[in-house]
Amino acid sequence: MKEHISPSQAGKLCAMTIFANKIFLLPSLMYEGAKSDGFFIALLLYALDFLTLIVFLLLKRKYPTQKLTEILEKRLGKVVTKIIYIVFMVFFLFKILLTYSVFYVYMKQQIYQDEFTFLTLVCVLPVINHGVLLGLRSFARTVEMYYFVVLAGFAACLLVGLGTMETFPHFFSSNPSAFFSTAFRYVFSFGDYLFLFFIMDKVEIDGKKDEWRIIKPAIIAVVFVLALFFIFYACYQVTAFMHNNAIVDIIAIFEYSALGRIDVIAMVLVMFLCLFALEVFHYSFCEAFCGVFKGLNRTYSVVVFDVIFLALYITKIGRYSTMISYVQSWLPYFCILTEVLFPFVMLLLSMRKKKGRKYEKVF
Amino acid sequence: MKVSSEIEKIKKQFHNSSDFASRTISRGGREIGFVFLKSITDGEMFVEGIVGPILSYSGEINFQTLEHEVLKANDVKKIQTNEMVDNIIKGAVLILLDGQKGAMAIDLQAFNMRSPSEPPTSSVILGPREGFTEDIKTNISLMRRRLATKDLVITQLNIGKYSNTKVAITYISGIADLKIVEKITKRLKEVDIDGVMDSHYLVGFLQERNNSIFRQVGLAEKPDIVASKLLEGKVGIIVDNSPIVITIPFLLFEDLQDSNDYYTNHHYAGFIRVIRLLGIIIAIIASGMYLALQLYHYNILPLNFLITIADTTQGLPFTPFIEILFIFLLFQILYEVSLRLPSYLGLATSVVGALILGDTGVKAGLISPPGVIIVAMSKIALYVAPSQNSQIVLMQLIFIILGGSLGMLGIMAGIVYFTNYLNDFDSYGVPYLAPYSPRIRNDLQDGLFKKDISTMHYRPQSFNNKNKVRVK
Repeated sequence: MKEHISPSQAGKLCAMTIFANKIFLLPSLMYEGAKSDGFFIALLLYALDFLTLIVFLLLKRKYPTQKLTEILEKRLGKVVTKIIYIVFMVFFLFKILLTYSVFYVYMKQQIYQDEFTFLTLVCVLPVINHGVLLGLRSFARTVEMYYFVVLAGFAACLLVGLGTMETFPHFFSSNPSAFFSTAFRYVFSFGDYLFLFFIMDKVEIDGKKDEWRIIKPAIIAVVFVLALFFIFYACYQVTAFMHNNAIVDIIAIFEYSALGRIDVIAMVLVMFLCLFALEVFHYSFCEAFCGVFKGLNRTYSVVVFDVIFLALYITKIGRYSTMISYVQSWLPYFCILTEVLFPFVMLLLSMRKKKGRKYEKVF
Repeated sequence: MKVSSEIEKIKKQFHNSSDFASRTISRGGREIGFVFLKSITDGEMFVEGIVGPILSYSGEINFQTLEHEVLKANDVKKIQTNEMVDNIIKGAVLILLDGQKGAMAIDLQAFNMRSPSEPPTSSVILGPREGFTEDIKTNISLMRRRLATKDLVITQLNIGKYSNTKVAITYISGIADLKIVEKITKRLKEVDIDGVMDSHYLVGFLQERNNSIFRQVGLAEKPDIVASKLLEGKVGIIVDNSPIVITIPFLLFEDLQDSNDYYTNHHYAGFIRVIRLLGIIIAIIASGMYLALQLYHYNILPLNFLITIADTTQGLPFTPFIEILFIFLLFQILYEVSLRLPSYLGLATSVVGALILGDTGVKAGLISPPGVIIVAMSKIALYVAPSQNSQIVLMQLIFIILGGSLGMLGIMAGIVYFTNYLNDFDSYGVPYLAPYSPRIRNDLQDGLFKKDISTMHYRPQSFNNKNKVRVK
């Protein structure tokens, strides 16, 4: 039972993945492509993402205690299951690389500057490895413990951001092709609920009330991120592409005389969020790895992850500029597999039994 | 069986100890022997309750008449020959009779004990001031006085090959989880140690993880605290010769609670708990954070503060990291010295420490005033939770190293690392960081923001209680 988590903890893990990536450079990248309509791209992609969450809940209703591998092997065969798991190993690996590389740039700019390049890595890698080795329950509890701290920090940043808002963002200024091409280009930064499929046997859901406990933190996180996009576009309508750190930038110009500089709130918030999101993605990578190589335990998967991650990082494949070029070039096509095709297959699997056999009572 | 030869045999078993006492009297032509350790028996009671009545009794003396007609004592029992030594060790006076096997044991144990007084680390402003003593009987009586119920169960064990220390497991039947009681009893029965000098000797045997720097059992010095924990469904372990009672299961949050909180307005108690939490946070990370800000993130410091730091640290021979480490070690040495010095010298140490070392160190340009203030602040803040002292000091050192070497990210990574680690803990099946992680809504009533006792309807749900309702 050490790996089992409550629905509320699962919801809070979702919130952390929702926050990761979106609070850094995504708002400015979207502005670059679709101007202030980047806000609607985020809204659209979140709506699509939300469908994935619904599919997950449907699948969980159908198979309350089964692992994803068991379901896939039974329905699609072992070979297809392995292929799906390999695809998701790659997906989560790149999620980690993207999150880390963006985080690294932030750290370099804000804090370490000319310090040793691997200082950020020395802080991050042991912590996420340790969290994953301890198991899902321990880091899910940690996320649950700091969830309200994170929300309070985020809310403080947004409130300060509201104070710096000069005008209302000018919506509907981009053409439809720019809108949709930008949406497609940055689709990799979404897909926040996909990790849930890989821990579905470990999330204890009992009834609709529990389903709501997953959905609630996710909705709160989405509202917060959309508010961030909105305020960011209202603050920086012209120079948005120059801003990498959306959450920090919206409060950087604000200096409240009673408190002094308060961008430290955003700094702490970013650190917490990235560590938590990296733990979630790392754990999902390890679950996918263990699904592919069934004889190997989690320690092996952590070692393999570290080796691959360091190799990609040292060879500069996992660095910021390379990752951004991947995000804009081939990763969106890859996301068709993970964020469209996979949830669709899952939806079919969750509906299939209903048609063929007598309805299985779940609750 | 001849009394004098039997006495000699017992004396030999005690290696002719100087406190071994024996006496023989003749009554109705029959020899009666008395054996005891004078260091642990009540001499007055021996004369008034045993020798006096025997001498004045005119009838036939045998074990039966002694028990029912002669002796003026509460705890009288007939024992076998092989039980004699054990009973003498426990403070009994043995009566041996010529021609009869075994002996009569009368418990006259009497030690010089201090009376219950207010413990120095758990003093209250308005509340009960009694603390536990070193005597297990007194401690049990203090518990009985607070929990006058037949459901208060006290099970006694003897632990220690040479110390033969009495250990009492206490809980309220009908509230405590018997599985936890069984687990504790099993663990204590398996303890094979030469001696138990204090309850801390048993802590290692009761903790789930012994290599951790975090304590996983509760320690209390006051009967009202232990009684309230028993009412929550916890189990107490009273150890003879120790004024500290162990309570299990233990949650980390318990060290943020204080008995004062329950004897004052609950709003104020909530405020004080927040202050305590802040104190602990300051104690753990203040020094490390100061280092991180000074070394890596000086740009986020307010300009005036930055100028002050720059002014005061200019020309120091040490790097900020070495400086803070130096002050930290200096404070720790002063702390250790002040603990061991007689109180009249303690004042001198404070003066030497605070004025001579601090002030002169600053004037000599070895250390900076902000460094002294930050470390001093974190050292003072430590005492908001005195029972966490040892682990917080170790955490301070860890966070100084993290802050000095990796900056603020190092500190945040450390916080996440240790929270993950603590979340992996289970103290007898109870999550160590409950009620916040996992979040247990009911138990938040006695969390950071405490509710009034009249609205605490249910017992804590973080562990398995039989009887859930507390206030109807």
